[in-house]
Amino acid sequence: MTGHDDNAGWADRPAFRKWFFRGLIAVGVIAALAGFVPAFQKDHPHFAAEGLPAFFALWGFAAFMFIVLAGQHLRKLVGRAPDYYEERE
Amino acid sequence: MSPESLFAALAINPAVILFAGAALAALLPGAQSALRRPLMLAVIAMSAAQLARLGLGEWGALTIFGEPVTMLRIDPLSRLFAIVFHIAAALNVVYGWHVRDRAQDFASLAYPAAALGGVTSGDLVTLFVWWEIAAITSVFLVWAPGTRMTFLTGMRYLVIQVLSGTLLLAGVVLVYRETGSLAFNEIGLRDASGAVKASGLVLFIAFGIKAAFPLLHNWVQDAYPKSTIAGSIVLSIFTTKLAVASLARAFPAEPALIYIGATMTIFPIFFALIENDLRKVLCYSINNQVGFMVCAIGLGSINGAAGYAFGNIIFEGLLFMALGAAMFRTGTSMATELGGLYRTMPLTMILCIVGALSISAFPGTLGFVTKGLIIDAAGEGHLFWIWLALLFASAGVLEHAGIKIPFFTFFAHDSGKRPAEAPLPMLIAMGVSAALCVLLGLFPAPLYALLPDQAAIAEYHPYTAYHVVEQLQLLVWATIAFGVLKAMKWYPAEVPSTNLDTDWLYRAPGRSLMFWAVDAAKAVWTLAWRGFQGRVVAAFARVYQVHGPEGQLARAWPIGFMALSVAATLAFALVFALVV
Repeated sequence: MTGHDDNAGWADRPAFRKWFFRGLIAVGVIAALAGFVPAFQKDHPHFAAEGLPAFFALWGFAAFMFIVLAGQHLRKLVGRAPDYYEERE
Repeated sequence: MSPESLFAALAINPAVILFAGAALAALLPGAQSALRRPLMLAVIAMSAAQLARLGLGEWGALTIFGEPVTMLRIDPLSRLFAIVFHIAAALNVVYGWHVRDRAQDFASLAYPAAALGGVTSGDLVTLFVWWEIAAITSVFLVWAPGTRMTFLTGMRYLVIQVLSGTLLLAGVVLVYRETGSLAFNEIGLRDASGAVKASGLVLFIAFGIKAAFPLLHNWVQDAYPKSTIAGSIVLSIFTTKLAVASLARAFPAEPALIYIGATMTIFPIFFALIENDLRKVLCYSINNQVGFMVCAIGLGSINGAAGYAFGNIIFEGLLFMALGAAMFRTGTSMATELGGLYRTMPLTMILCIVGALSISAFPGTLGFVTKGLIIDAAGEGHLFWIWLALLFASAGVLEHAGIKIPFFTFFAHDSGKRPAEAPLPMLIAMGVSAALCVLLGLFPAPLYALLPDQAAIAEYHPYTAYHVVEQLQLLVWATIAFGVLKAMKWYPAEVPSTNLDTDWLYRAPGRSLMFWAVDAAKAVWTLAWRGFQGRVVAAFARVYQVHGPEGQLARAWPIGFMALSVAATLAFALVFALVV
């Protein structure tokens, strides 16, 4: 997929991808910065972590990274051929 | 119990109306099969009208074996489940408008009827009866494709479901012995001294099998994706939610459920990541989503469990429908064979994204206003690690349900497939689901008004500034992580594979063990019979020799016959004298 052939739809165009990702980062930065504004902070946090302005941004990013980077190794343990059970049954 | 009172108790019950409608639809001759779906919709409307007419209360009080039972109880908890079951059943009938299959049509109404009967049952015997009807009717959906593979899967499914039913029955007996009552109220796992009760434990496991607790979860991935497109959507909704409703009623605020639920939210994330069959991904998503509900029950937030069950039925159903529409047009649900469908299925793509945003709990969606109740309950309980685990699991939901499903179906690499847009009935069902996701997400008041604990919900406000900001931080930065992983080519490529899970235990070693046991039993029997056979033949030959027509004792035949006749006549006379 080059993004320039006749089949390229709007979502495959590099320009769309670039602007989509930039927009996403912009929203992410605004949300993280909003965490520093007292009006957007919790009055009575249950945990110290809730009081950290960008805690949720960090935790969301780290959790997603961990799930994908660590999780893919599960395939080595449990991955088998697609017809694994058909052969037996 | 007179037949009239039984009939009256049955006729008032919305679940019985649905079930009778299912039977009626099944009886329609093949030539009129096109009328089945309109008839099914009419029956669901009748049942819903009956539910609305009844309001809250108890009906169908009967005495069975000298014990009072309550066949229908509509309280705030069962009403919420009853309402969403009606919505889901109607949407599924519309979605599967093209289906012309007697067994599937019957099951698509009879199985929701059983689940409805289960959540609205006021006693454990009624619950057991509907529990088993749900197992038996739903298996027709697993068998619907009619292949050898689906037959075997259906048998495995049935064994597990009936095991749950058998345990439920045992639990009912134990509860009765303990309390002298069959009422279905809070049972609890522990007695006053804190020790685990046998009755509670047996019921806990019976409910846990249907809720797909960790290690008991794999029947979902085994059975649901093998059904038909419309069938798997029906299946995805009812069994696990019936179990959630039962757990909420019997084991509210049971601490074990917090940890079981939290585990359920996390481990399926990793299996979903590496799974190529997107319908299986959604089945792991069911485990994960039910985990949130189970955790909520443990935290004592029945509002969270019931509210999230309502939301999940709508948005998880929407994801199943969107994927099903793609499968209906392309014939596959494999991530490796899909991709790029947004070009020709833009409406399905948009509706799928609404479902994906909703299940991920983006502000403005049904997921946001219901999941917040659960995360908040963990905070209120000051359970830091559980709270952190639920946030971690929320990032996981975004990964497999929020991004993987729409991305690999409609975007990712171009599969070259250019299918037509989904058929109109499918678009209508998906459109209504998406509208509910957005409307109830923006204006949750009607849903909140139905939640069981009104005192608690009065103090809950989903759209506070910090709640919106923290949720946006979590989800947007997790999405940025996906962008980074794709840009760095660290995101694993999809590969066709079978991933082993707990079903491997009974499908590979368990199966081998069973065949070994069969062969061993056969060998022992053959050996024993061979030794025995010679003696039996010899014994019969000897008997024949002595008693046969040419045998010595044949001379005594007339005497023996006479003695037998006299004995029979005397016995007859004795019985006659006793009776008359």
